[in-house]
Amino acid sequence: MQALLSFDKAPPFAAPLRFFLTAPIFAMAAGLLLAWSGGEMLASRWMPSLLAAVHLLTIGFMLQIMLGATIQILPVVAGANLARPMRVALWLHGGLSTGALLLAAGFWFGQPALLSAAAVALGLSTFAFLGAAGRALSGVPSTSPTIRGLKLALAGLAGAVLLGAMLALALARGWPLPVMAMADLHVGWALGAWGGTLLAAMAYVVVPMFQLTPGYPARPSWWFPGLLMALAVAWGLAIASDSTGAARVAQGGMALVGMAFAALTLRLQRQRRRARADATYRYWQLGLYCAIFALFQALTATILPQLADWAGWSLVFGILMIVGAFMSFIIGMLYKIVPFLAWLHLQNAGCTPAPAMNKLLPDASMVRQWQAHVLALVLLLGAVVVPDFLARLAGIALTVAAGGLFYNLLSIVQRYRAYLEAAKAK
Amino acid sequence: MNRPPPERIVDARYLEPPEPFVRTMEMLDTLQPGESMMLLLFREPHPLYRVLRQNGHDYETALQDDGTFEILIRR
Repeated sequence: MQALLSFDKAPPFAAPLRFFLTAPIFAMAAGLLLAWSGGEMLASRWMPSLLAAVHLLTIGFMLQIMLGATIQILPVVAGANLARPMRVALWLHGGLSTGALLLAAGFWFGQPALLSAAAVALGLSTFAFLGAAGRALSGVPSTSPTIRGLKLALAGLAGAVLLGAMLALALARGWPLPVMAMADLHVGWALGAWGGTLLAAMAYVVVPMFQLTPGYPARPSWWFPGLLMALAVAWGLAIASDSTGAARVAQGGMALVGMAFAALTLRLQRQRRRARADATYRYWQLGLYCAIFALFQALTATILPQLADWAGWSLVFGILMIVGAFMSFIIGMLYKIVPFLAWLHLQNAGCTPAPAMNKLLPDASMVRQWQAHVLALVLLLGAVVVPDFLARLAGIALTVAAGGLFYNLLSIVQRYRAYLEAAKAK
Repeated sequence: MNRPPPERIVDARYLEPPEPFVRTMEMLDTLQPGESMMLLLFREPHPLYRVLRQNGHDYETALQDDGTFEILIRR
C-alpha cells in the first residue's frame, strides 16, 4: 500500500510550503500599514496607502497562495505535471514576493520607478509561470469542469496581470489611460475572471472532498467558468469602446453568476454528511455570505451608480470580498491542504502509520484563529464608518489574525519535522 | 459503459482521502484478469489513473448530471 500511495509526481513539500508560509507575513504587513496610517487610509479607495495595503493582501497573500497551491494541485486535479516544480516554485516565489513589496512601496512612497519595477517583476514572473503551466496543460483534455475552469482561470490571471501592469505603468509614466474605468476592470478580472474561476474549479473538487457534501451538478459546473470569462471579456470590450452601459451590464452579470455559485455552494454545504462544524466549514460559510453580500453590492451599484459615490461603498465591497470572502476561502482550504500534505509526505518518507491529521494541528487552534479573523473583519467594516476610532485597532486585529495563521502553519511544519526525525531515528 | 454488479461498485463519494484510493486498490486485488469494477466519486482521481496506467489497467470515465464521476476499471 505504501508504494501505491506514493504520489511519485507530487512536488516536494517545500515547493508549495514557501508560498504558504510567506503569505501570512504579507497579510501582517498590510495590517501594520493600517495600524500605522490609521483612519486617513480609509478616506477613499484611491488613497495610495490603501492601494499599498490592498496589494500586499491580493498579491502578497492571495496570489502567493493561489499559485503555490496550483503548483501542487496541477498533477492531482488535472494530471498535468510541471517540468521542474521546485525550480518554478523558487523563481515564482521570488518574483511575486519582490513584486508585491515593490508595488506596495511604489504606492506608499509615490515612487514611479518602484511602480514600474513592480510591473516588470510581477509581469515577468506570472507570465513565466503561465508559460510553464500552459506547457503542463497542453494536450490535457478538459475532461472535467475543474480542468476547463483551471485553464480559463489561467487566462483570467493573464488578463488581470496585464491590466494591473498597464495601470502601474500608466501611473508611473503618466500614460493617458482611463485609469478609473480600467481599475474597475482590473478588479473584475483579478477577483472574477481569475479568482472566481479558480475558486470554482477548486471548489468542485475540495468542497465535496473536505466537507463531505454532494457533488456540484455537472451542467452549471461546465457553464460557470466560461460564462464568467465571457462576461469579463465583454466588460473589457465595453471599456475599450467607451460604452459605460454595456460595461455595467457585464459587471452586473458577473455579480449574478458569482452569487449563483455562492448560493449553490451554500445549498451543498447544508446537505453535508459531517455534522461537526470544523474550521474549514466555518471559514467557507463566512466567505460565502460575505461574497453574496459584496456581489449584491456590486449588482446594486450597476443599477444605481450613485451608490458607489459614497467612498465607503467601495471600501465595504473590498473588505468583504478580500478579507471576508477570498482570504476566508483560502485559509479554510489551507487548513485541510497543509496537514494533508504533511501527512502524505510523512507517509511517503516511511513514517508509518503517519500521525492523524488532527495531531498535526488541533481543530481548536484553527477555530481560535478563525475567531481572530472574524474580529478583524468586523473591526475593518466598523472602521469604514468610524475610521478615527477603529482603523488602527482593525489594523492590529488583522495583524494578529494573520500572525495566528502563520503560527498555526509553522506548528504543522514543526510537528512534521519532529515526526520525520523520530521516523529516521527508528 | 457496462455497469458491473453492485458488489463490484465502490461508492467513495462521501469518503475522505485516502479511503477511496485504498478501497479501489483492495477491490482491484480481488478481481480476475478481464473482470471490471466501478468507482463512484465527485472528482476525477488523476493520481489513481496514474497507478492504473502503471499497472496496465484500462479505465473509462463518465460524468453524470449529479456531478458523479463513474470510473469503470478493467483488470
